Amino acid sequence: MDQSNHTSVNITQIACHDCDLFLQVPQLRVGQSATCPRCNAFLFKNQKNSVDRSLAFAITGLILYVISNMFPLLSLRALGTTQDETLISTSVSLFKADMPLLSIVVLFTTVIFPATTLLGTIFILMQVKMDKFNDYTAPLFRFLRSTDTWGMLEIFMLALLVAMVKLGDVAEVVFGTSLYAFCLLILSLTLLSYSLNPHDVWSKLRNEITQ
Amino acid sequence: MSAIKNTEITARDAGFISCHFCSTLCKLPKHADLKKVELVCPCCKSNIHLRKPNSINRTWALLIAALILYIPANTLPIMTFTLWGDGQPDTIISGVIHLMDGGMWPLALLIFVASIFIPVLKLIILTMLMISIHLKARWKPKDRTVLYRITEFVGRWSMVDVFVIGILVTLVQFGNSANVTPGLGALSFAAVVILTMFAARAFDPRLIWDVLESETKSGSKKTVSNKDNKQMVKP
Repeated sequence: MDQSNHTSVNITQIACHDCDLFLQVPQLRVGQSATCPRCNAFLFKNQKNSVDRSLAFAITGLILYVISNMFPLLSLRALGTTQDETLISTSVSLFKADMPLLSIVVLFTTVIFPATTLLGTIFILMQVKMDKFNDYTAPLFRFLRSTDTWGMLEIFMLALLVAMVKLGDVAEVVFGTSLYAFCLLILSLTLLSYSLNPHDVWSKLRNEITQ
Repeated sequence: MSAIKNTEITARDAGFISCHFCSTLCKLPKHADLKKVELVCPCCKSNIHLRKPNSINRTWALLIAALILYIPANTLPIMTFTLWGDGQPDTIISGVIHLMDGGMWPLALLIFVASIFIPVLKLIILTMLMISIHLKARWKPKDRTVLYRITEFVGRWSMVDVFVIGILVTLVQFGNSANVTPGLGALSFAAVVILTMFAARAFDPRLIWDVLESETKSGSKKTVSNKDNKQMVKP
């Protein structure tokens, strides 16, 4: 590429991502959030201990994620046999039922993306805390931000509830060991997405570049 | 909530590009031909554009694909419940009706909202937004942006039915006496959900607002700069 693909960075102003309005970066007190005055888009917020809290929720989430994958979530007992349901077995059984594409979708949305979100967030936040960044930090965080909507564990939780009620009057549904860990995992993932402030991470990275 | 000083011009008019991923504001280099040169965000190293490239074409393509696949998603069976060798194929709608007949109203409502209401709502909203862009409509840009945000936020919840099928296929495996097999309808439905999610991502909500700016620009530039000064005086 030629020279003109390098641009200078403006850090005193910001553009609204929904309506492109040119705005001054406001100085926010703790607990405040900034919204676009024209289209009401949420821009960013200032939260107390955002990095520490997010890191705590991400590590908690990772531990719970491992436990959730170790034991069955639900079991169905009928006709003298028991069928177990684990996170990974959903995509395995879809694969066996001649639905490879569907099984890949389920594998990515319920197993792979939640794992990369947790691992990647821990990695990035560690770097933010230690103030050491490398070339892979920005692309990794970009990947995490764009795959954020594709981790669908909370939707899987709702599906578990639906399946539980549906099968409840046909056969005996037994709660698995992992179900409790899974509920807490959903809670910590929700709290993580609430406490994580991508704007903070990006502005750290920006400062690194402009220095 | 905190009020932000409003300059009443867009970043594009001010000569800046906002990075889509990290919202770093980059100065547009002078005499840069955007059609030839790919600009790179200095912060996150992604390619930056004033507007999402080919937004309208990509959104239409994904949206039309989703509209076509919506037909097999509703006509083909999503799963077959076999009990003692007696198979009963279910489509999305017949599944909801069976739940209603079985007296499970809350569940029927939930599946109805997730599998029928939300996908239809998304397809209608996105089609309307695209048509409004083509007509260069100035009608309530703020409300249309809210509609866009709804499609972006709510779309992923349609996956509930796909996951329910996956769980039932895993749990109900009792040889010949009782089992559940997934149908092609489930695959088509998952494709509809994923395609509309991509379509919502390909759509650029700034296109809704761009029409308003071209209006003020052609009117007179003075009014804009006056407004700008007034805003600056305000504390």
